[in-house]
Amino acid sequence: MADSFWYVVMVPMVYFSVAWCIAWGTVRVVEVLKAPKAPYTLRIFPVGSGSDDPPKSPLAGAFWDAFTMPTVRKHNPRLWVFLIVFHVSLVLLFLAHLDILPQINIMPVDSPHMLGYGAIGLVLAVCLLYLLFRRFRTPVREVSVPGDYLVLVLLLAAVITGDTISWGNSWSESGFVMTKADFGSYLDSLLKFTWADPRQFLSGSHYAVIGTHVLLANLFLIFLPFSKIMHFAFAVPLNKLRRG
Amino acid sequence: MEDSDKKEVLGLLAGSLNQAMRMYMENCARCGVCIEACHAYASTGDVRYSAVARAQNLRRVFEKNHSYTGKIAPWLNEAVELDARWMDKVYETAYTCTGCRRCMTYCPFGIDTQQIQAIAKAMLYAADMEPKPLTMKAKESAAKGQKLETAREKFQREIAAIRQELAEVFPGKSPEEIVPLDVKGADVLFVSMAERISILPAAKLFTAARTNWSLSYFEAVNFGAFLGVPQLTRQIYERITNEVEQLGIKTLVICECGTAFRLMKHMIGKRSFEVVTILQLLDRYIREGRIKLDKSVIEGRVTYHDPCQIGRSAGVYEEPRNCIRAVTDSFVEMHPNRMENWCCGGGGGLVIAAEPEFRMMTSRVKVDQIKATGADILTTACEMCYAQLKDLNEEYELDLRVSLVSELLAEALILD
Repeated sequence: MADSFWYVVMVPMVYFSVAWCIAWGTVRVVEVLKAPKAPYTLRIFPVGSGSDDPPKSPLAGAFWDAFTMPTVRKHNPRLWVFLIVFHVSLVLLFLAHLDILPQINIMPVDSPHMLGYGAIGLVLAVCLLYLLFRRFRTPVREVSVPGDYLVLVLLLAAVITGDTISWGNSWSESGFVMTKADFGSYLDSLLKFTWADPRQFLSGSHYAVIGTHVLLANLFLIFLPFSKIMHFAFAVPLNKLRRG
Repeated sequence: MEDSDKKEVLGLLAGSLNQAMRMYMENCARCGVCIEACHAYASTGDVRYSAVARAQNLRRVFEKNHSYTGKIAPWLNEAVELDARWMDKVYETAYTCTGCRRCMTYCPFGIDTQQIQAIAKAMLYAADMEPKPLTMKAKESAAKGQKLETAREKFQREIAAIRQELAEVFPGKSPEEIVPLDVKGADVLFVSMAERISILPAAKLFTAARTNWSLSYFEAVNFGAFLGVPQLTRQIYERITNEVEQLGIKTLVICECGTAFRLMKHMIGKRSFEVVTILQLLDRYIREGRIKLDKSVIEGRVTYHDPCQIGRSAGVYEEPRNCIRAVTDSFVEMHPNRMENWCCGGGGGLVIAAEPEFRMMTSRVKVDQIKATGADILTTACEMCYAQLKDLNEEYELDLRVSLVSELLAEALILD
């Protein structure tokens, strides 16, 4: 029974979640694209720009604003540090998961570790805890909604189970139970649609933790298109509006 | 709230969902960075008076009607059904915000609360819940454009005293030459506040600069914009655009009115004429030596309040300062200034729409900023700011002279 459950979570549900996320994410983007454009400029004029001056490279500025968040750096430096570390870690985490694929080898094929040796997950967990706890305090608490907590809790749970997998891999006296290559076989089978049972690649005793990690990741992907995380697609166009 | 009213109000919300609005509604991370940006929050510590809280009042209605989560799991983003009770929250969004857009300079995405506020205002108008003095003034303005002949006669009577006063300053010139009307092919059409305070200094300075100008029959301020009603807004500004086009004038000069300038400059689309503020024109005259000013006339330390709609929203920062520096060596900046300047607390029509107690309470941060300059004269370039700053001066006993920049220039003018 448990094996069947984990099989559903780790194979069919993964396909479903990814397809769902891509489809609904596309719908959300298309909805915005289909709407009429704003009838006039929503630009803010920075110091040094005149009323008739065209904006200076607004697209480059929008990318700069979206990726470096200068307004947050200026007005809330502590939050900015956590946000930057969080977003950089997310990119590294994405790379680390890609690196599991046998076709990509940032870390050596026979490495027992993922990219970052488990540190990325820990850093992310710290950042997420900060982002979560700051929501418990006035004045951010007053403007937060359940969805804000849910997305952070979901991510935190996924990160913690990821950290546990990393840590749990060293439980065996003989060293690492599951290596990068083992996880690679699982992902490769997913990519090749073999529908194989992941249990045959992942032999560790903490298989349930891996299953939970995948389950949380699936839930996160299902929720993502309806959450504010969609800002990853809109941060640049939004900043472009401000830049003119 | 009647079903038909609700349908109309929600229809307005649906109709306003352009690309920008959709993104503003769906992408706020509620990080709270904008909270500190609002003068009302900074003055009271009340989170209701923050950009994010005001936007949430509308975002929750949006969630209920236009988002999948709002329909399936309304608890997730606290979606709400629009009803009479919630319309009070919509009112809070619309009329506790001055639309100064300072929060945009804090938000990592640049969400424009003024746009959200404009929709809230339009919804209130549809529900007949808007502040009535604004509607009355907007309708008066629109009617003035429809009954043109009556409006012209009335306006000519109103400016007779100003003409007479200036005729004494410029002997040898007829009152009609000093304050000219209906001048076809003039270089400049000046749109005033239709009041002495903006007509008199402008006429004096234009006459001294030998400007070939014409005074518009209409006032610059657009109460339709303060109500967030596009049809009324258009009706009101079209009175002026028609006048410019009929007279064949190439430059439209807007008096010290922030909303009017931003509207005419950046929001009505490309036209056959250029739009400048009076201070841009006067700055040019000073640089060209067309007007000469005596620096000994204005006594005391002078500071300048950047109007949000002229500064942040339209990029006119330096010209007013150049004008002030031409009449005094004792100019002192407020801090923060320019793009980051605190709003006066009276913008967005709040000078008319909001209770004076609210305006005074939410502008403490502005008062502290003014006090810190140690100035004797407080100048600005917007009539709404001017009215609010005068009220603050009185309420907080700042003992300042509050003045428009053009007034100072007219006072310091050296007549040939």
